[in-house]
Formats: sequence, structure tokens, C-alpha cells
Amino acid sequence: MTRLAPDRWAAVALFAAAAATPLVTRDTFMLDSVILILLWGSLSAGWNVAGGYAGQVSLGHAAFFGIGAYAAALMSARHLNPWLGLAIGVGLSIGAGGLIGYLSNRLKGPYFALSTIAFAEVLKIVASRWRGFTAGSEGVPVPFRPGFATLGLGHVAWLYLILVLALVCYALQMYLERSRVGYQLAGVREDEDAAEALGIATRRRKVQAVVLSAALTSMGGSLWAQYVGFVDPSHVFSIDLSVRFALNSIIGGMGTALGPFLGSLLITSLETYLRATFSGIQAGFTGIYLIIYGVVLILIVRFAPEGVTGIAARWRTRRDRAHA
Amino acid sequence: MDPARRLGPAQIDVVAQLAVSTVLLGGIYALIAVGLTLIFGIMRVVNFAHGEFLMLGMYLAFFAFTLEGLDPYVVLLISIPIFYGVGWLVYVLIMRGVIHASHNVQIFTTVGLSTALQNVALVLWTGDFRVIRPWHSSVVLRVAGTAFNLSQVVAWAVAVALTIALFAFMKWTHTGRVMRATAQDRDAATLMGIDTDRVYRLTFAIGIACVGAAGVLVSPLYAVYPQAGLQFVTLAYVVVVLGGLGDMAGAMAGSLIVAAVEVAGSYVFGAAWKEVFYFLLFIGVLVFRPAGLFGQRGAETLGA
Repeated sequence: MTRLAPDRWAAVALFAAAAATPLVTRDTFMLDSVILILLWGSLSAGWNVAGGYAGQVSLGHAAFFGIGAYAAALMSARHLNPWLGLAIGVGLSIGAGGLIGYLSNRLKGPYFALSTIAFAEVLKIVASRWRGFTAGSEGVPVPFRPGFATLGLGHVAWLYLILVLALVCYALQMYLERSRVGYQLAGVREDEDAAEALGIATRRRKVQAVVLSAALTSMGGSLWAQYVGFVDPSHVFSIDLSVRFALNSIIGGMGTALGPFLGSLLITSLETYLRATFSGIQAGFTGIYLIIYGVVLILIVRFAPEGVTGIAARWRTRRDRAHA
Repeated sequence: MDPARRLGPAQIDVVAQLAVSTVLLGGIYALIAVGLTLIFGIMRVVNFAHGEFLMLGMYLAFFAFTLEGLDPYVVLLISIPIFYGVGWLVYVLIMRGVIHASHNVQIFTTVGLSTALQNVALVLWTGDFRVIRPWHSSVVLRVAGTAFNLSQVVAWAVAVALTIALFAFMKWTHTGRVMRATAQDRDAATLMGIDTDRVYRLTFAIGIACVGAAGVLVSPLYAVYPQAGLQFVTLAYVVVVLGGLGDMAGAMAGSLIVAAVEVAGSYVFGAAWKEVFYFLLFIGVLVFRPAGLFGQRGAETLGA
């Protein structure tokens, strides 16, 4: 029996703490915080599959989030089943992800990032201008219809539902760390030409990673729409949102299973704390939060590009070496 | 309703008006895009915060006009040294550290800068739309069946003059030659005794000075708000990719193409959909000719 690695222990502790929260408190604020930490963590994990494991850094993942959010919200608003909306969103995102994945075979680095931004912008414009279908820039309110089938849940039920999503995302990432496919993706990320020379189907692997990433992000988007109850195009397709997915993973550690959740824990708690502190001055609050977010991003990529998990691993190696 | 249609065929020659609008818009887009492409061409960094410096230029013009009553064209003169200094400072504090880092590090550094600057503006100056109306913005010129306002013409003339000046600087001065040499081959330039750090500092400062000046120039024409830079910068990406990232002459041609698509698109389909056309054009170019319309094939797969 091999000993569990420290970051696996941290993940177990994180998810166990989340699962235990409703047993300790029924405070809506606390439950809401935990739900958002898990949800943003899952969405960042979705981004991490393409950006972290496969090295396809996208700045347009809001596109998939928005597709999912709109699919669920539009179904709910028409009194249809939001789960069906979630499935449709995933289907559309798989198609869109395939398209973006195909682009990633032709474009590298900044070119790929630019093309993903453009893709999300096109969807934003379509969603805000196609009034007959999406209600335009006013957005779509999601009616609250109690019941699991209609995704009108209480906070405790939401917490466990999102925890399931988080565990699925975490498990998928673990698979990418340990499986043959995962090693192949790492090869693509580190040196595509070498990977190709070793007989890895680099193009197919990249497309697969982007498609899986898109599907997870879309799922998170659908659940977010049902949980928050309102979808508006300038938010769900925004660059800020795409950056947020990336930011959590970068802070926690790109290409690690724990990274996105750790990043989400830090960033989402910071946001929740600042929102509670600066409530009342609404406009001022959002700005201050986002200034910190931008500055943290600059500092992290400059001084600790491997993120918190990377720093922790470096410390452990140093300590073990000192003991040996 | 489109202003050209409202005035009727008797006063306005539609084709001439569309052509003039294209040229006027194209000149301004060129000044925004030329800084972006210069920075990319020499430093190999896509500046995702480019639009935020444009927004700061617009705010500078706004405050100078409302608080001191200074005309934007006066502000233009001081804005160039101010933004040159801002660019210099941002390079020294932020960009210098990541110039040799990976693409991801560079992308997220400028993205973080963009988020931070946008929200500094939001906190300091709120999200309200602000407008300035100096006297020249309400003067309408009518020439040969076309009508346009004076601010637009002056903005265009100054933008074109600045862009040409930059071209001349790059082509004929020693420093310009040194900058082009660095763009061609960083290592060879270093071996020839070129101080690349100084070149990058200069490049970034000039690029930001251009876009800051562009911000001041467009301030009488567009509303100022913290996200104002976004609409222009997305457009500048399109221009720059069309012309080939790093290609200054390409950026000029790209500006005219994007302006033409925008003007024709909003005339035929209405202003609401105009962005869709240039984004589709953008994606089309990225898919079919990623090195730009005039660029060498294959440049994009090097990751530049």
C-alpha cells in the first residue's frame, strides 16, 4: 500500500470539510460560500484539463460556460426540463470545443488565446442581439421551481450536487495525471514535436482535451445558471470570467488535480470576504476585488508560476533532502 | 436609422460617404493597432492591456476638458510624453521581468494588468458613461456630397501624421534601425552590441504613447467608461492579425479593411451587428491565413 501523497490528503480534507459543512451549520452565508468555492473550483478544473494538462491556454472558456448557462436558463424559462438544457449545452459545447480544438492544431500561444477570445465575443454579441431567442442584453431570469427534476433546490441539496460535480472533475484530473492518455498530453504540452516523433497522436489528443474541458465547463455553467437564477450575456461570455477560470488554476497550480480547487478556495473566499466587508458600496467593491485579482495574477505568474501546490512540493523536497 | 439614409439622397452621396467614413475610421484604428503590432513585432508579446491605455488616454482628455477646460488637441501634446513615461514605467516594473518567460506567463501578465487598470478606473471614476463635447465636435463639414464632423477629420489627420512619423522613425533613424534589427533576431542583435533591454523599453514606451494619443484623439467621438478600451482593442487584434502580427504596413492595410467591413456592415445590416462581421473575419483569417493576409505562411505555428 503506497502512502497517499500530501496533495491527495489535502484534497480529501477539502472535500470532507465541504461535505461536513451542513452538519455543522445551516447558515446560508456559509453554505453559499462553500457551494461557490466548489463550483468555481470545478469550472477551473474544466479549464485546467485543456490549459493545464494539454497546454492549450484559452482565454475564451466563458464561451462554453455561457452556452451551458443559456441552455439551462432558456429551458427553465420555457418551463422545460433544465437537465435537458444541461445535456443540450454539453452537446453544443462538445461541438464548439471540437472547433476550437481544431484551431489549436493550427495556432500556438498568443494566436490561440486571441482566437478563443474572438469566439467568446461572437457568442456574446449573438446572445445580446438575438432578442427573439435569448431576450437580448436584458438577460434571462430562471424561474424557481422546487424539485430535483427542475433544479430548484435548497442550499444543502445544492451543496451536495455541486460536490458531486467537483468530485467528478477531480477524478477526471487524477485520471489525466496517472493514465497513458495523461502522459501523452503532458508530452504534447512540453514538446509537441518530440511527442509526435514518439508516435503520439498529438492532434487528436489536443482536440480530445479541449472537448472534455468544454463539456465540463458547460456543465458547470448550466448548474451555475440554475443556482444563481439569472443569466446575462455581458457576464456569462465575459473575458473576466475566462480569466477567473484560468486564475484559480494558476494560483493553485496548473496541471495538478488539486490546484483549481485550492485556487478557488483562496480566490472565492477573498471575494466573499470583501463582498461582506464592502457591502453597501456595491460598485466600489467589485472594482477593489478585481484590482486585487489582477495584481495577484501578475505577481503569481512572475514569482511562482507553478502555483501553491508547486511551492508546497518545492518545500517538501527541500525538507526531505535536509532530513536525508 | 442610419444618418446617411435620413438625410436622403439629395444631400448625401451614399457611396462617397461610406468611403470617407472608412478612411476616417481606418486612420484612427491604424494608430491604435500600430502600437500593438510594434510591441509584438519587437518584444514578441501580445499586450492584452493595450485597450486599457487607450481608456486612460480618454480619461485624461475628459478630465483635462471638464476640470481645466483644455481642448483635447492641446491635451494631445502633453499626452504623448505622459504616456511615453507610463509605458516606460510599466516596462521597467512589469514587462522586463517576463520578457524572456513563456507565452503563458506573458499572456497572463498583461491580462492581469488589463483587469487591474480597468478596475482602478472603475473604483476611482465609477462606471458612468462620460462624454465631452468641445466646439469642433459639432462642426459639420460638407464636401462633394459627403458630411462628417470636424473632430473626426482632425483625429484622422493627426492619427495619420503620427503613424507616418513612426514609420519614418523606424525606417530612417539609427534607433529605428536598431529596433528593427532586434525584431529580426534578438540574439544576433545582442551579439552586435545592441542593448536589447533598452530597445524593449523604448518599444513599449512608444507603443503606449501611440495608443494613449489615440485615446485622447477619439475622446470627442466616443463615450468614456472603464471598459471603453475593450471595443477598440478587440478591433485592434483583428487589424493586427489581418496585417500579420508585427507587420506595421500590414496593420495600416488591416485598419482600412476592418473599417470597411464595419462601415459597410453597419450600413447594410444595422450598427448592432457590426462587430459580428469583423470577428467572423478575424476567425476566418486565423483559420485560413494565420500569418496575416500578407504574411509568410507558417509564422503562427512557431508560436512566434
